[in-house]
Amino acid sequence: MNTEKNKRSYKAQKVIDRMGQKLTRQMVGSLTACVHCGMCTDSCHYVLANPGDPTFAPAYKADKIRKLFKQHYDWTGKVFPKWVKAGSVYTDEELQELKDIVFGKCTNCRRCTVNCPMGVDLATFNRMARGLLCHVGIMPEGVEYVAKEQWEIGNQMGVLKEDYIETVEWQEEELQSEMEDPTAKIPIDKPDSNIVYVINPREIKHDPRSILDAAKIFYAAGEDYTMPSEGWDMTNFGLFNGDDELGGAVAGRVYDKVEELRGKKLVISECGHGYRSTRCEGPNWAKKDITFDAESSVITMLEYIKQGKIKVDKTKNPGSYTFHDSCNNARSCGLTEEPRELLSLVVEDFREMYPNRAENYCCTGGGGAMSMAEYRPSRLKSAKIKADQLAATGTKTVVTSCHNCVDGLTDLIGHYKLGMDVTQLVNLVANALVIDDIVEENKKKYAEKEEVSSGSAQ
Amino acid sequence: MSNLLHFSEHALQEVALILMATVYFLRIRWFMKWPLGKERQPATGLGDTNPKKGARYSLANIAMPWAMESTRSKPFMYAQFVVFHLGVVAAITLSFIIPYGPGLLKSSSLVALIQGLTGTACIVGFMRIIRRISNPYIRAISSPDDHFSLILLTSWFAFAFLAAPNDISGGEGFMLTYFLLTAFFLMYVPFSKISHYLYYPFTRTYLGRSFGRRGVFPIRRKPAYQRSI
Ligand code: SF4
Ligand code: SF4
Repeated sequence: MNTEKNKRSYKAQKVIDRMGQKLTRQMVGSLTACVHCGMCTDSCHYVLANPGDPTFAPAYKADKIRKLFKQHYDWTGKVFPKWVKAGSVYTDEELQELKDIVFGKCTNCRRCTVNCPMGVDLATFNRMARGLLCHVGIMPEGVEYVAKEQWEIGNQMGVLKEDYIETVEWQEEELQSEMEDPTAKIPIDKPDSNIVYVINPREIKHDPRSILDAAKIFYAAGEDYTMPSEGWDMTNFGLFNGDDELGGAVAGRVYDKVEELRGKKLVISECGHGYRSTRCEGPNWAKKDITFDAESSVITMLEYIKQGKIKVDKTKNPGSYTFHDSCNNARSCGLTEEPRELLSLVVEDFREMYPNRAENYCCTGGGGAMSMAEYRPSRLKSAKIKADQLAATGTKTVVTSCHNCVDGLTDLIGHYKLGMDVTQLVNLVANALVIDDIVEENKKKYAEKEEVSSGSAQ
Repeated sequence: MSNLLHFSEHALQEVALILMATVYFLRIRWFMKWPLGKERQPATGLGDTNPKKGARYSLANIAMPWAMESTRSKPFMYAQFVVFHLGVVAAITLSFIIPYGPGLLKSSSLVALIQGLTGTACIVGFMRIIRRISNPYIRAISSPDDHFSLILLTSWFAFAFLAAPNDISGGEGFMLTYFLLTAFFLMYVPFSKISHYLYYPFTRTYLGRSFGRRGVFPIRRKPAYQRSI
């Protein structure tokens, strides 16, 4: 019998069946409510960078997922499929085409969401579609690789525990030398600490300076904190590949470790998707209500200055700066004001970029795009919008609160030869720290101790 | 008045309304059966908003063209949206006034108001048809339902405009067509994208609640902090 099901490949059938399990009422609303008005069209950086090509339009891309929903789960599509543009997928090739749309033509930045009069949230069901494809093994190679690392090794860059600890210890030595304090520590697994500080594995692999900078700030503030030996990766590829199980497992590791260490507060270093995953989506994926406070390190640093725990001197950061809002921070977590307030306290010349906050354009490296090498040319083409935005500020440095954005911005700045630097708030705050008196005191204290100990040795 | 016109104004409209209400009921029941995604995370943002405030802002978005870049940067499109939807309200209201309160149409200003609204909505409808066909972005996302719904509404506005004076001295043609179109419209709407307004309160509330909890709605465009330190 040549039934509809028999005509479909195994993977295509799986995708359709699983869709029914993944749909929430919020998603069904978004899949049903689009009126094809086109108001969202030019809110997307892909559209703006590819004039005349309607296949980049948010509603066009959404319809590639919507047609499956209409055909299989919405009765209007079952009764009049052609009339409402319902359709199905039959072959693995069609799934590959869908992959190129949901991974290669959308960074899940949610800019179209905040511009849709109907409240259609494409990014949310685009993520669901990514998850359906990943479930049957159809995804960009980089996504597969990174997700595997995070499942198996516990962090998305495959950093081994000994490498992590070695890097933290190396930064501890740097801290001791910079602070002239041989007893300065970056504690690991210290129970009952005020703060458990979790980071992005990129900091271990490519940017250990950020760990040192954070440690300097904690040191200057006299903070009682610790870094965990496990569950330290606050990034989460589950957000990008749409795998709620991975999302829940990764966030769960962090939460479990905080509970095991009896930490009072979880502080998440600067990373847009990490903050969103660990602070916002993680409890949903892990189906767990967190029992401790959690905040971005941006808020922690700002509070230190406001409470007088650290002193900063903005003249230590000369030059002109602009701020790039990470999509996840701004459009999914409302973290827009604190970074600006902090930035204005540590640099003299801060110039706003337009549009900004929840209306900012994606750095084009979002949604896991930096790990999808096959889409790099089209990503960089779409980055023209961000490049123009950056150039218009006339500044020399762009500041962001996201490691992913650092990479995305660095790539586009190089490509468009903008000659700008990219930095994060933690680097600027550490640089602006007024710590000369602490260092001088330490110098004296340890010199005296040395004298005493060498005297007693004689 | 002929029996056919009387039937179209009364029994046919009532049947169409009952059918529409039934399908709407089934649609909402179908929609509510989908599990509601739960949000467990503690609130983020500055603490000056919450799910309720976010939902209110989100629902009111439609009346705040300045709130979204898409409406802010296209005031002409927004004006078209307002006129078009006011035309729908006027044409629907007319279908109740003629059979149940024809005396109201003795007021020439009410007739002028209805004609003004349906007439301009009809013009907007034509503009939207042209846009849907000629704009490559809109054409690429349009379904047969999108085209048909737009043509249906635009023609309905035209006949509402002609029917508004409630004058059949020159023949019943316009009036009959208007009521037949209204009945068809009522029966077609629940199956078409025109029923979007049914989902609007849900989609906007869900988005608003989530964005309110996360401090995203109301959207900020000015600093919410004092550079005082
Ligand atoms: S997603 Fe929203 S703005 Fe875009 S076409 Fe659909 S209804 Fe219009
Ligand atoms: S989520 Fe962002 S990248 Fe994706 S379609 Fe919408 S605006 Fe474009």
